[in-house]
Amino acid sequence: MPSSCAADPQGGVRKPSPRGRFWLSAGSSAWILVAPPVLYFLAFFVVPLLYLFFVSLHVPSQTELYGSRVTLDNYLRVATDSFYLRIIRRTLVAGLAVSGLTLLIAYPVALAMVRMPARRRSLLLMLLLFPLMVSNVIRAYGWIAILGRRGVVNNLLRDAGLVQAPLPLLYSVETVVVGLLTILLPYMIVCLVNALLTIDRSLEEAAQSLGAGPLRTFFHVTLPLSTPGIASGLLLVFLLTLSAYVTVQLLGGPQSKMLVSLVYDGVMSFVWPRAAALAFILLGISLTITTLMLRVLRPQRVEGRG
Amino acid sequence: MNPTDGIDVRLQGVTKSFGSVVAVDDLTLEIPRGIFLSLLGPSGCGKTTTLRIIAGFERPSRGDVFIRGQRVNHVPPHRRDFSMVFQNFALFPHMTVAENVAFGLRMRRTARVERESRVHETLNLVHLAGFEDRYPRQLSGGQQQRVALARAIVVRPAVLLLDEPLGSLDKKLREEMQVELRQLQQAIGITTVFVTHDQEEALTLSDQVAIMQAGRIEQMGRPRDIYERPTTSFVANFLGVTNLFEGRVVGREGGEAVIAVGEAPVRVPAGGDLAVGERARVAIRPEKIAIVPPGRPGGLAARVRHVVYLGPITHYYLETPEGQSLVVYAQNTAAATVPWKTGDLVSCLLEAQSAFLLRG
Repeated sequence: MPSSCAADPQGGVRKPSPRGRFWLSAGSSAWILVAPPVLYFLAFFVVPLLYLFFVSLHVPSQTELYGSRVTLDNYLRVATDSFYLRIIRRTLVAGLAVSGLTLLIAYPVALAMVRMPARRRSLLLMLLLFPLMVSNVIRAYGWIAILGRRGVVNNLLRDAGLVQAPLPLLYSVETVVVGLLTILLPYMIVCLVNALLTIDRSLEEAAQSLGAGPLRTFFHVTLPLSTPGIASGLLLVFLLTLSAYVTVQLLGGPQSKMLVSLVYDGVMSFVWPRAAALAFILLGISLTITTLMLRVLRPQRVEGRG
Repeated sequence: MNPTDGIDVRLQGVTKSFGSVVAVDDLTLEIPRGIFLSLLGPSGCGKTTTLRIIAGFERPSRGDVFIRGQRVNHVPPHRRDFSMVFQNFALFPHMTVAENVAFGLRMRRTARVERESRVHETLNLVHLAGFEDRYPRQLSGGQQQRVALARAIVVRPAVLLLDEPLGSLDKKLREEMQVELRQLQQAIGITTVFVTHDQEEALTLSDQVAIMQAGRIEQMGRPRDIYERPTTSFVANFLGVTNLFEGRVVGREGGEAVIAVGEAPVRVPAGGDLAVGERARVAIRPEKIAIVPPGRPGGLAARVRHVVYLGPITHYYLETPEGQSLVVYAQNTAAATVPWKTGDLVSCLLEAQSAFLLRG
């Protein structure tokens, strides 16, 4: 995903493909094909986003969407108020924890899956996507049924005489992380399987033929060559965690709010400019983390691009 | 086994089956030190599987593999003393040329200074000095091929395995690389096993050629021997166009049998098992037949059916009165004045010493 759009800083020796030239010469017809989604995107995403930014720079108003005075106050307040900072930190930690944990859990699974015969692999991929057919709301309630005060776990513990009072298993960041983990794991596995499948088996054999054992083959060849999958998986899971609402709300409760919950609260209490500012802070975090991850992982190196 | 007996690779009764398919069938093979051996055969003959068994990527179902006298049946590939050039080169795309070549040395924990000097030296050897910091995708096919070769030889393995490494190059480049590969192999004297389905390539490059079919070696020997003295019709046909004749032994002289093909007698080296009166199959290459005007005594009468002019040579497709068809390649020299035309009656002289007896 991120690698395919990387620029070509080396100049390269690649000649332009005949098809590339065709598209250049037929530029106008290409534009006709691309125009509808581009216009749609401009009208219903970019323009509203700019408007939202405009809103975020104004004081709140009791009667209007935003007040008349222009101010940076909405941003400054978030940046200085320990309440907001705590929630931003919680959001970041949850996002990194969920993406990191899914990566650790998914990688061995993906490795095992690419070694399977193709038929069994596609069957497993289907099974993997099956939970996605169950709504997040239902799955969150499922977790409540399992972890609640009178849920499966507490009942078992009580019946076994291990606890007197039910344990508070719900309504914490950890619960949110566990809940999101189960929802987002398939995304990570699919990303990794796709990346690992593109690695030519002969590269691993080449490493072995040069004296690399299984571990060194993995760390020198398989792992670096799977970075496009790692990068897209991490980003996908991280961004989905940041924008998760239902799971956070139902499993985290009022004590474990995250940034999206604050945006929602802001909208519900008609403080539009602050909600807008929080939305942009969320966007800023997403962009920063995305950039950092791509810097560190350098998925483009798989194609020998630095 | 004594490691100093000069045999770098030995396969002893090696069989490999995949399910019910037998890829390699009771194969025994010895590869002396410094030899360039080609495993030649059609696809599915087991040549690549044989290579992969030497490498350790496949385990033999039966039989033993020795590298430099050490039995390596249960030694994993990374502990075997070989290196390999893959069909698609298998260069690490995320490493530079220098890093690719240094990889094997790093795995062997060679000291940095020595590593750098050997990488430098080897890149010089394959004419790639100055390309150290390029990535594989920035190289042409021929350059990638050289990197793959450098990466394999820099570790100085006991045996170098080449799995159709020239197959993906275009014809001109392939011929250049053949020459370079051979010179390089002779310069460093490395024992080499080369898998190919290209007869010409095998004949050009090798000290020894093993022709494989159905998991077995049909014949093994020096290129000239196998080309000129094939022992089975499979080998004869696989190495190029061959004219096959059914004949009868009409006499014996010394170690040779005289076999009458139509009216024409040919002599072939034959053991004592061939008696006068017995039927025999002989073969002769198209370039070992001369076309002369009809009626020549000892010649084989035929009629020209088809003529293909190819510049330096002409191919004549002929048919005898008995309905036997044969192919003749004639050099287009000034001496060969008469260009025969379709329909001409001619005589064919079989170069007596060039015919060979086929067993299978």
